[in-house]
Amino acid sequence: MSLRRQLTLSLITILILFAVNVGTHFWGSYARGESMVAYRNSVTATQLSTEVEQLLEDQRQQILILATLRETTDDQLGDAELQRAEEAIEKINSKIQKLGRLSHSVTELNYELLWNKSSALLKRWLKFYRSYNDPNIEMDMNDPLRFMDVSQSLQDLEERQAFIAAQRANIIDRTIALTDRITVIAFFASIFLTATLGYFLVSYTNTSFKRLKKGTERFGSGDLDYRITDIDDTGELGDLADAFNDMSDKLRNAIYDVHKARDAADEANEAKSMFLANVSHELRTPLNAIIGYSEMLHDELGDKHEINRAQFQQDLDTIIKSGRQLLNLIDDILDLSKIETGNMSLHCETFEPAALLLEAFDVLAPLLRNNSNELRRELGELPTFNNDAAKFRQIFTNLLSNANKFTDAGIITVSARELPVNPEWVEFTVHDTGIGMTSEQLSRVFDAFVQADSSTSATYGGTGLGLAICRDFCTLMGGSISAESKSGVGSTFTVILPSDPA
Amino acid sequence: MTAEKFILLVEDNELNRDMMVRRLNRAGLKVITAGNGQQALDMMQAEQPSIVLMDMNLPILDGWAASRRAKEDERIRHIPIIALTAHATETHKQYALAAGCDGYATKPVDFPALLITIKRLALA
Repeated sequence: MSLRRQLTLSLITILILFAVNVGTHFWGSYARGESMVAYRNSVTATQLSTEVEQLLEDQRQQILILATLRETTDDQLGDAELQRAEEAIEKINSKIQKLGRLSHSVTELNYELLWNKSSALLKRWLKFYRSYNDPNIEMDMNDPLRFMDVSQSLQDLEERQAFIAAQRANIIDRTIALTDRITVIAFFASIFLTATLGYFLVSYTNTSFKRLKKGTERFGSGDLDYRITDIDDTGELGDLADAFNDMSDKLRNAIYDVHKARDAADEANEAKSMFLANVSHELRTPLNAIIGYSEMLHDELGDKHEINRAQFQQDLDTIIKSGRQLLNLIDDILDLSKIETGNMSLHCETFEPAALLLEAFDVLAPLLRNNSNELRRELGELPTFNNDAAKFRQIFTNLLSNANKFTDAGIITVSARELPVNPEWVEFTVHDTGIGMTSEQLSRVFDAFVQADSSTSATYGGTGLGLAICRDFCTLMGGSISAESKSGVGSTFTVILPSDPA
Repeated sequence: MTAEKFILLVEDNELNRDMMVRRLNRAGLKVITAGNGQQALDMMQAEQPSIVLMDMNLPILDGWAASRRAKEDERIRHIPIIALTAHATETHKQYALAAGCDGYATKPVDFPALLITIKRLALA
């Protein structure tokens, strides 16, 4: 159950108990009030009954005296006395009626009995007074039965009223006791419930928070895969655990990303150091010849004997050649660096690829002759190119000079054809029958500063950057380059270029 | 060791080899040459040179492997080897020394310093 639902439930329970207390109080007040009214009526009725009894008694005494007087004397009853007697009887009658108004269902029967008997008695009394002066009318007023009857009824009513008053008082006491008990029970029940709910709530949240804390600590101490799974709560604490787990995922990913970035940076750094070491090595090789020959010629100039001019010239040529090699190397390194930093751009112009290839053949012709290699061309119908002509020229100059460099008295074949599937693309191949490469050498042939064999640069020269540049140029021109080779049999380089990179 | 002292120069690049031979000769040192590591080992056994100047990037058997094998062969392990290489990093120097080389010189060669090392190791 969620924290909010638990809290709501506790609050509702406490409110219900509170409502029970308040309700009990009002009900008790109402019940007490009602009983109190009934009680008060009963008490008043009892008093009234006593009063009526007294009046009846007085009136009877007076009538008995008058009856005796009437028999013994001839005194007449005066009008004023008659009127007073009538008023007295009327007063009794009205008191009895008032008593009737105070009576209720329980005493109704007693009252009716009283009313009937008293009405008859009072009528008789009234008749006595009115016929007092008429001696013809004989009235026996000594018979006590009628009066006793009324008196008895009045006493019955009185007793009944007293009984009811006692009963009401009893009900009031019981009501007070009951409301007191309910109030106390509800009070202690609410305290108990509040305490119990509070205890469970505290222990539940405590456990959950401990788990959350444990999770945070575990994660914080580096256990990036730790997730809080032991909280069953579907409410706020569950949400908190979910949020924590989400945060953990994101943090872990972020940390992995940072690690990856750091590894990549380390790798890039390593590659840079490697590149620098390679550059240093490649620069030192021609510099070794330049400095070595220069120092040697300098020393020889100081010698006494005749200078061998032919030898001197040849040595200077070596220096010049090494200097040019150094320049090429620096140009290549700059090219490669430009490509790597994204500063190398395409300068597109319209050209005929076959014409540029023929130019490259002319430039390389002397070198081909030096190595006794034969050049074969198989150039088909080619589309006009709108691409970077300078890079195109450099790619094929590099590939051809490589093929020539590693081939002695062999055949170099250059072919070009439109791709059958898409005539906008042209496939160029440079095939040689030279020393070839092993599969291990082939796999690294396009990497910078890697010549197939570390000793080949010494034998064949070159910077080890040519093919790396070729690969980058091909990519830049929208195409690709690949190589196949077999050690001792020869190599084939295949270049596929679009006539227009756009 | 024979009375006459001479150097074995192991270098596969023809230009560099000729230059070194000429410069060493001008300094009054006798030089024989080898073009790869295997040839160098053969000549060390056959000719017993006073000292070897060994390039590290060599075909067939490179300079590091050749030096290691020379130091494992008791017939020639006494011959000092100076590594000559265009690899100028400290790591490469350590590689060469770990392979058993007695000295280390980077290309371009500081020739007077190289002569001093040769004299210290072999001609003293």
